Amino acid sequence: MAVTSDYVLPCGRDVEEVWEAIDLSGEHMRSCPHCGAVRESLLVLREATAEMVREEVEPPFDLVSRVMSAVRADVRRSDVVPLPGDGLARISTRAVAAVLRYAADGVDGVRARGCRVVEAPESTGMDPVIEVELSIAITAGQVTHQAYDEVRRRVLAAASARIGVRLARLDLVVSDVLEG
Amino acid sequence: MSVAEAAALDDATLVARSRDGDMRAYEQLVRRYQGPMYRLALRIVGSTGDAEDAVQDVFLTAWRRLGQLNDDRAFIGWLYRTTTNQCLNVLRKRKPHADTELDEHESPAPRTRPDRAVEVNAQLDALQAALRGLTPEQRACWVLREVHGRSYDEIAEAIGTTQQSVRGRLARARAQLAEVMAPWR
Repeated sequence: MAVTSDYVLPCGRDVEEVWEAIDLSGEHMRSCPHCGAVRESLLVLREATAEMVREEVEPPFDLVSRVMSAVRADVRRSDVVPLPGDGLARISTRAVAAVLRYAADGVDGVRARGCRVVEAPESTGMDPVIEVELSIAITAGQVTHQAYDEVRRRVLAAASARIGVRLARLDLVVSDVLEG
Repeated sequence: MSVAEAAALDDATLVARSRDGDMRAYEQLVRRYQGPMYRLALRIVGSTGDAEDAVQDVFLTAWRRLGQLNDDRAFIGWLYRTTTNQCLNVLRKRKPHADTELDEHESPAPRTRPDRAVEVNAQLDALQAALRGLTPEQRACWVLREVHGRSYDEIAEAIGTTQQSVRGRLARARAQLAEVMAPWR
């Protein structure tokens, strides 16, 4: 397919036509000084282009490690859950866990240990939902079953009031009993 | 997995493993394609710093979007498109006067080969200088086609235009480059 360029020669042909016929030796090409000159230039261009193709400029030696550092940092950052709104704002699950542990610590005789936070399957940017597994240590003699309800109430409240996410599921595990 | 085994894995396998979060597989892909992507970026943006940044961004973006790639075998074409786009964006953001701050492109290691080789190298330098006289889109079209051998279809998609327009830009680029190379006849 011929493409008409803006580079029309005095003989009426354009540069692209000369390029397409560069290896053919038609009568016009042999006799026309304009086409001949352009053909010579195109041959030089072709030669320099071949040299450019052969040229092996290597990337900096540490480019791969820089890329992989960025990828690893991204993987760490992806440990996040959305905050309510347009879905662009996010909070790390570790930050959420810290808030929830602090809330549980407010109950007498309760010490939060591990707190694993995951985004619930039904979660969306508009309505972020999390599921939490919280392990606690309790002090013997200080904790009644009301205390577990209190932990649950405070953790639920902290999730919605302090972070803005809905807590759909809270698994509470007593992992240790401390001497009172 | 030994290095030899890893090197033998095909793109589609590495892409599938990377999508599952296998960073070692992804590192193999980065190692395999950082060279061509870096050279493409360098030829389009003209400065080593911008080329490095562009390539780094491209591979990070590619990692994040692996889940959106429908065909694992399409990875390489997708890399070419993303790199081209990234480079054109860099050039759009660049202030007009910044063009004067471009590197003297990579003329790696002093060129010490004699005679004919010297002339060839001088032609290559002239071509690199001439490329800077093209518009970014013309330059991208020409480099993708003539240096990296990509198809018109792929280039059209990378630039966000039609095949017809790619051919037009290529023709103008070629004519302009030939004009600059005329003194070397």
